[in-house]
Amino acid sequence: MAKAVRASAEQKLEENNRRWGMVIDLDRCTGCQACVVACHAENNVPVVGEHEATRGHSMHWIRIERYWEGEYPNVKARFMPVLCQHCGEAPCEPVCPVFATYHTPEGLNAQVYNRCIGTRFCGAACPYKVRAFNWFRPDFPEPLDQQLNPDVSVRQRGIIEKCSFCVQRIRRVELDAAASGREVEDGEVQPACVQSCPPSALIFGDLNDPESEASQFSRSRRAFRLLDFLGTDPAVVYLKGGETNV
Amino acid sequence: MVGKEISRRTFFKVAAGAAAASGLSPQVRRIALEPFVRPPEEELPGRATWFASTCRQCPAGCGIIVRVINGRARKIEGNPNHPLNRGKLCARGQSGLQVLYNPDRLHNAVRQSGGRGSRIFSPIPWDEALNELSATLQSLRDPQALAVLAGQPSDHLYTILASFLEGVGAPPAVIFDLHSALDGRADYASMSSRWFGERQLPIYDLAHAQVVFSFGANLLETWMSPVAQSAAYGQMRQGSLGGRGVFVQFEPRLSATGASADEWIPIPPGSEGIIALALGRIIVEENLGRAGKHNGHAHLYRNVSVADAAQASGFSVEELRRLAHLFAEADRPLAIPGGQLTGHTNSAQAMDAVMALNVIMRRLGRSGGVFMPQPVPAERFTSPAPTSNLDEVLDLVERMRSGDVEIFMFHGANPIYELPAWVGFKEALEEVPLVISFNPFVDETAVQADLILPDHTYLEGWGYQVVSPSIDRPVVSGQQPVTQPLHDTRSTVDILLSLANRLGGTVARDLPWNDEVGFLEESSAQLHDNSISIYDARTPAGFWSLWRQHGGWWSKREIKREPEAVGMPKEAMTVPAATFQGDEATYPFHLMPYSSLTLSDGRGANQPWLQETPDPMTTARWNTWIEINPESARSLAVRDNDMVNVTSAFGSLQAAVVVYPGIRPDTVAIPIGQGHSDYGRFAAMRGANVMDLLTPSPEDQNGKFTFGATRVRIEKIGQMKPLARLEDLDGEGRESIR
Repeated sequence: MAKAVRASAEQKLEENNRRWGMVIDLDRCTGCQACVVACHAENNVPVVGEHEATRGHSMHWIRIERYWEGEYPNVKARFMPVLCQHCGEAPCEPVCPVFATYHTPEGLNAQVYNRCIGTRFCGAACPYKVRAFNWFRPDFPEPLDQQLNPDVSVRQRGIIEKCSFCVQRIRRVELDAAASGREVEDGEVQPACVQSCPPSALIFGDLNDPESEASQFSRSRRAFRLLDFLGTDPAVVYLKGGETNV
Repeated sequence: MVGKEISRRTFFKVAAGAAAASGLSPQVRRIALEPFVRPPEEELPGRATWFASTCRQCPAGCGIIVRVINGRARKIEGNPNHPLNRGKLCARGQSGLQVLYNPDRLHNAVRQSGGRGSRIFSPIPWDEALNELSATLQSLRDPQALAVLAGQPSDHLYTILASFLEGVGAPPAVIFDLHSALDGRADYASMSSRWFGERQLPIYDLAHAQVVFSFGANLLETWMSPVAQSAAYGQMRQGSLGGRGVFVQFEPRLSATGASADEWIPIPPGSEGIIALALGRIIVEENLGRAGKHNGHAHLYRNVSVADAAQASGFSVEELRRLAHLFAEADRPLAIPGGQLTGHTNSAQAMDAVMALNVIMRRLGRSGGVFMPQPVPAERFTSPAPTSNLDEVLDLVERMRSGDVEIFMFHGANPIYELPAWVGFKEALEEVPLVISFNPFVDETAVQADLILPDHTYLEGWGYQVVSPSIDRPVVSGQQPVTQPLHDTRSTVDILLSLANRLGGTVARDLPWNDEVGFLEESSAQLHDNSISIYDARTPAGFWSLWRQHGGWWSKREIKREPEAVGMPKEAMTVPAATFQGDEATYPFHLMPYSSLTLSDGRGANQPWLQETPDPMTTARWNTWIEINPESARSLAVRDNDMVNVTSAFGSLQAAVVVYPGIRPDTVAIPIGQGHSDYGRFAAMRGANVMDLLTPSPEDQNGKFTFGATRVRIEKIGQMKPLARLEDLDGEGRESIR
């Protein structure tokens, strides 16, 4: 009797036909940095200290950019959270000589740390400057090492790291759903930044599911994508501040 | 069977059979097998357990859930069921793990054996420490010579501490910390009692407001309950009400909160009340709004001249009229007096002037307006910790200086760092024979202590906190250990209970509990069988376990009270001009110290996550800077990263310049939080403490904390200190991300 061929994990993901994406409502964002610390905590992102931060070596996977407009007294500041845009046509992917950065079937721009050899080509190619290079061995003086999330590997010196859309959380939800024989529900997957965001400016979901909240918001007339003209097809959609949907 | 391997199962079968056959045992006994190492019962290797508790990084009292794997706390998130923060959490709340796992924590009780300030500590056994403490307390000639200062104590600690001090006949504890002072909590309580006849903090229904006028309230950063306010802000902007709320911020420096506002009105420091009065005058005079006639309010504004206010604030009468119309013609306007205005000499009158805007627009008890909290329906939870005014601290300092204090104990506060240098706390402390710290860290004040009896950090400790300012219903946030204590620390409440037991007499009768948990269990039982409770149990023990599971207690439905303006002024309101320390010619700039979004009043400075998180406005990290308007920077010939001397009539410090487009030319701002000399490797020897600059409160102010009333001058040093900013500057004001 022929053995039934079991679908590979990769094939299953393809069948799901998901594209994970995020919507960021700039009208709600207050620049409060909760997402930044939540991401450090969830993803074991190292702290580099004052000296290295001054040299531009800090490693935030998500950052709040602040833009000044106008001059005193008619001055405005605007905030914009920027993280890996998980581009559909990612400039970082074709430049990697060892396929450390690649595209998963569910739209994640993934970084395989074990393959990375530290050429930093991807960091140079990324127009959003969201890739961080480990210039040093990360230091967690004891007992700070106990804060580390066991679901996420600590990266070594000499490799690139970046936002993964908290892939460990996506997998956990998928496994839990599969174990209880149901589908993953919209809003069930929450990356750490989305989970913490006090004004609920961040929404995560499947952009291929027309019913998902993220997908509905991504079709708002306030929607735009960062440096869209580059043709990178980002999976992060921003909602312009200052007006309503209604 | 000899020589054959016997499986464990077979062995039991045979053994049971033998026992039955032999008739020796009436039944087969069940005996649990004891492994050599026993994991906690709830632990499955690799499987996370979540415990509900309360965040203690600021006094707001947000509910948290902590992910625990193999007995170790790994991640803090907001408690999704908690009515205050609904699953959300701010940057400081997220960073709580670095309080727990901080490498610079004390591991046990210590004596500073090398003398005060030596930083040479030797461990002492807890029994010895407690014996010494109780012996000293017993030998006190006068119990009045015991003084206690507590900062942000959780309400259970405050309750025990208050009865302890009363029982031994000592004066009540002074409750003071810089964070609460910058919130203006004490001033707020006075304002509430003036207007509404009770000291509870009012609740602002920001979520449903249509036009919000915030007078110096940095409500999206550190003020009062920032997570709840941020959530409400999100709803106000893009909520389901339809129509986007308008938010106007009145403050001399564009804060991160102001950056989220639709309009920033750069008012002169201390003019908040004058502007609020002028707006009120215009509303009453032109009978604006749809809330009814203003005849009953006319007397409040009898003495107000809009033209004078316009001149004092530098805005035209037309501009003030436009703002008054914007406010009054909205369906649901809301005016919020914030923390910044409490730092000026005219704060009481200014707060009244702002609150009056809500009253004349009839915003009390209306959707999008002002409410009063419903008290928690149990006696134990109705007297939350008050906040002392600075004058009570000054009294304490005076008593210490004159030798009236023999034992000084402090918990949760770091007065040498947090109080302005002019208060002279450090010098006064030298006159006290025995100084005891309960802080888990060696901070600036603990360095001047003889004994440090470290409390657990909040993730290892018990407690509760009545949420104040409250939300739409009464809430008690429950705190429980999410992990075993990492070190040999001991709960301060347990120390007080055991001291009471040793001392005997009244205090032992007043504090009969064996331990902290016994007290908490009894406290929770007061809410058992309450009809509005979110959960119910048949027994108090069952109720207590639900309490811990939920992370506290709250009402299952919304209960908000309409405040009654019983204290509506009968006379015309006036707001005097704020006065400042230092003459304008020598000290041309107003100094505005502000609470750091990440480090708050400095207690976040020992957490590397918070140090590395950029300030949202300047994107600077890890150090102290001074924000200067571009025009003023040009006239001072300073650029970004230039070091300057900042001098007030009282002191001076050095800081690096950030040229900041969002600040008045006559004002400079310095964030609070750095400049620690101790407090661990991440905090110490970094930047400067702006509290060193503040000038004493004016004589006529009766010991008010006028943190906004200092004037400074600025001199270029000729050195540069590149700040660790996230953005890169090309020297011509163009920014890019590094």
